[in-house]
Amino acid sequence: MNFCTYCGIELDIDVIICPLCGKTIGKEHSAELTDQTGHYPSDIILLYRKETRKHIWELTGIIAFSAIAVCSIVDLVISRSLSWSLFADTSVLAAWICLTLILLAFKKYYIIIPGLLITILTELFLLDLFSGQADWFYGIGLPITIALFVFISIITLLWKVALFKGFNILAFAFLVLSGFCIVAEVFIDKFLFNTIDIRWSAIVAVSILPIALVLLFVHYRMKKGKRLDSYFHV
Amino acid sequence: MEGKGIDTKSIQEIGWLKLDNAAKLFPAIMSSELTAVFRITATLKEPVKFSAIKEAVEITSGRFPYFSVSLGSGLFWYYLEYNHQFPRIQTEEKISCTAFAVKRKNEPLYRILIKENRVSVEFIHILTDGSGAFEYFKSLLYTYFRLTGITIRSSEGIILPDSPIANGEMEDGYNRFFRRKIPPPGKLTKAWHLPFNLNEKPRLRIIRSEISLDKLLDAARGHKVTVTEYVASVYMFSLQKFYLEEKKDMKRQKRGVLRIEVPVNLRKKFPSKTMRNFSLFVMPEIDLRLGVYTFEEILKIVHHQLQAGTDVKQITRFLSQNVSHEKSPFVRVLPLFIKRMAISAVYKRLGSNQCSGIMTNLGAVNLPAEMEDHIDSFEVVPTPPNTHVKISCAMVTFRNKMRLNFCSISQSTGLEKHFLKHFTDSGIHVKVLNNK
Repeated sequence: MNFCTYCGIELDIDVIICPLCGKTIGKEHSAELTDQTGHYPSDIILLYRKETRKHIWELTGIIAFSAIAVCSIVDLVISRSLSWSLFADTSVLAAWICLTLILLAFKKYYIIIPGLLITILTELFLLDLFSGQADWFYGIGLPITIALFVFISIITLLWKVALFKGFNILAFAFLVLSGFCIVAEVFIDKFLFNTIDIRWSAIVAVSILPIALVLLFVHYRMKKGKRLDSYFHV
Repeated sequence: MEGKGIDTKSIQEIGWLKLDNAAKLFPAIMSSELTAVFRITATLKEPVKFSAIKEAVEITSGRFPYFSVSLGSGLFWYYLEYNHQFPRIQTEEKISCTAFAVKRKNEPLYRILIKENRVSVEFIHILTDGSGAFEYFKSLLYTYFRLTGITIRSSEGIILPDSPIANGEMEDGYNRFFRRKIPPPGKLTKAWHLPFNLNEKPRLRIIRSEISLDKLLDAARGHKVTVTEYVASVYMFSLQKFYLEEKKDMKRQKRGVLRIEVPVNLRKKFPSKTMRNFSLFVMPEIDLRLGVYTFEEILKIVHHQLQAGTDVKQITRFLSQNVSHEKSPFVRVLPLFIKRMAISAVYKRLGSNQCSGIMTNLGAVNLPAEMEDHIDSFEVVPTPPNTHVKISCAMVTFRNKMRLNFCSISQSTGLEKHFLKHFTDSGIHVKVLNNK
């Protein structure tokens, strides 16, 4: 008789791979790696979610490229050249690429975050290029975007490693936000006035600090506070 | 009213079906936790043979084509669309009654699970109730045993795979036996609920037990009640214990009514052959604001309330009230997304608040002797309870054993312990089984 040691069911003598669990007969089940899709009831829910994301991606693709075509043609018809439509087209395309990253690299943050960074930087560079005068990309666009992504990465990392996602995450997010405000003011000042005079970001930072401290106190001293998902559920 | 609603065409010809009255609720309230899925399991005496079960599923499912449907959403109502699909044959996973991907195109709404000696079917309540699912399951097991070479001489009580589909097997029984213009039943007050904390997600936990039927029957007969009435009384008595414990800690309790939902198979009350949902609840209750009840008092109340509640006239009253909602011209023309929101809101405010517990008894399983010789046990896992009720239970009897399974989303196992301890204190042997 031919048995699957994992499922404990009897198979026909010539069956090599168990049709239920997808594992090779006669091997230790932990050693065998096969596609698990459809073997367990919950696999179908995951498959359905994946299919749904793909459908949304396809639909948004149709909408995005239609919008690009419409803008470009209207611009060409009215002004006989591509002028304002370049801004619209670039923005729509960048938004669609961002959505693509989020939908297709679902929850793979190591792909999504660098991908979003590159897309947004490219978009800002192109917008700066099309406007032709301001030259703000290297002064503000590039450093502030990179700072924003560094801060988002820190929060994402904290979220991933934290065992208890409560007010502690919110407190760290506030602290990181105050740091981001200071960095932003530094580059804005440098670009606009060619000097650094930290004012509003310092006020934001000292205002946020007590809130963060209260949240940390609630979390670490008062029985771990509340879970964010239960506290903020709508 | 008879004759109304009987199907004269096959599902293959029609291509789609309206949801029956009971099924209309589920698409609006279902979630990854409140899955509306129940499971029936047979533990065989030998490991399941994959090729035989696969062939048996294909043969049996061909006999029940009205189950080969998936959920579609129209402008005004959900509907069931014929999809030519056999159910998936999958392996069990740790959590029972996992949600179906109901919005996925052509996704079957029932599945077969096999592991070691166990064969299970999981049905979503949109498709059928426990009795309908059991008819399918018996037919599946019959076909399976025949394919494995077992000779079964009698097929009494089993729908044979090659038998013609009877008229009315896919009818909406509620619609057929609904009567207009009869006074609706009175409104129910909100019931008290167990004060337990919920488990972390995934919440569902099953406690399985095996109870000696002879002793249980003796105990029930000693009190001149049925097994269902006896077990419902134990349930009520256990709930009362936790109510009284809570009362010690709280100065004032908001609610004092303990009420249990006990589904009734309407096929036994009305001449219907339907394989779709056709059951309603009877809800025995005690009001603890009147005082504490002894077990004997609870037995008496539950017995009389269940007897009175299963009277055909009384059932018709509830049935007609339920159907009248969907018949209302105002309700019918509401777009589906509004209906969905309204049903969900009404269920959260009223439906889920009306009972303290749910108890299903699928009764005794009678099969041909040759089949029974190859089956060790049957058991049922009820649909996961909502966050108010927290614990539900289901029982089924096979030969001289009754399997009583608790389906819980609560952290506490206190109710189950008290429930089962009551049996052992009454001299009824109970064995708590491993969760495989």
